[in-house]
Amino acid sequence: MSLLGKRAKRALLFSGILWSFAAFAGAAENASQTVQIKIGAILASNQSDEFDLRLAPLEKQLRLMKYRSYRLLKEESQKVQRKGNATFEIPGGRSLVVTPQESGTKQLALRVHLQQGGKPLLDTTVRLNSGGNFILGGPPHEGGALVISISATAQ
Amino acid sequence: MMRCDDIREVLGAWLDGELRQADAEEVRAHLAGCPSCGEERRQLEGLQKALQDTFHAASTSIAFDSFWRGVERRINQKRFWYEDALGWVRDVWTPPQLAWSVPIAIILLLLGMFSVENFLPGLRTGIPRNNFAAVESIDAFGRNVAVLREDETKTTIIWLYQNQEGDDESTGEKSETSSSF
Repeated sequence: MSLLGKRAKRALLFSGILWSFAAFAGAAENASQTVQIKIGAILASNQSDEFDLRLAPLEKQLRLMKYRSYRLLKEESQKVQRKGNATFEIPGGRSLVVTPQESGTKQLALRVHLQQGGKPLLDTTVRLNSGGNFILGGPPHEGGALVISISATAQ
Repeated sequence: MMRCDDIREVLGAWLDGELRQADAEEVRAHLAGCPSCGEERRQLEGLQKALQDTFHAASTSIAFDSFWRGVERRINQKRFWYEDALGWVRDVWTPPQLAWSVPIAIILLLLGMFSVENFLPGLRTGIPRNNFAAVESIDAFGRNVAVLREDETKTTIIWLYQNQEGDDESTGEKSETSSSF
């Protein structure tokens, strides 16, 4: 085989590898069907100066709210299919229903519905990066406020 | 029975001793009785002798001894392992062999562009680099709600305020929920 022929063959082979790589990346981007939802229910109050060490990864975010004390009440994680529901029982007779609307490996859209005794408190749709979180807070609880950290990771 | 033309054609091979014994005997017998082929033989032998003389004269002026000594020395010389390794590295990094590094570099570049996070989500710990969440819609069912986006930690906070009429009368919870950010 001539040198030119060999080079053409190598270029073709390499293009094939690159194409497969790009196809894999594209498929990984589009075909994420399962989302892991993790919530942490936190009591924020000014009744003490206690900071729950389990909340260390969230400390900078929680300190934005100017409460003196933060205590983790509940932590739960659920895997859910796209358009499926993950229901979390939240202290104070509340429940949180999280429904992934769209999921790629990069970004996710979540519909979040918070209710108390069948009475809706909040319904919101939030778009966030996979692995990211946001904070939902405000409902009163045990002399403080309930703060819920909601994170989602596409899998 | 070979004729003169045939004899002259194989004369060179006969002089070099390359013929079979039967053919060589036939050539010898023919040369003994053929003056013209005998003359051809003499001329060919003279040419061979002239060439050998020229070669021997030239070869004495070439210093073959030192050349062979050098070859022998290099054959017998002990090579250390790092010399072999250096030789291998030198071979690998010469331009023709360096071609393998081009596809590797492109693949690494593409991996960098897609980033590890795309392929292994959640690998990194802590808060992602861009943790901002975009609130696309929000309904607090008549209550006040605030959305805060904080730059330093890239955090989005949705804060639900208790309404003035006392929204949480069912649980009887009253508390300081008016957070100041």
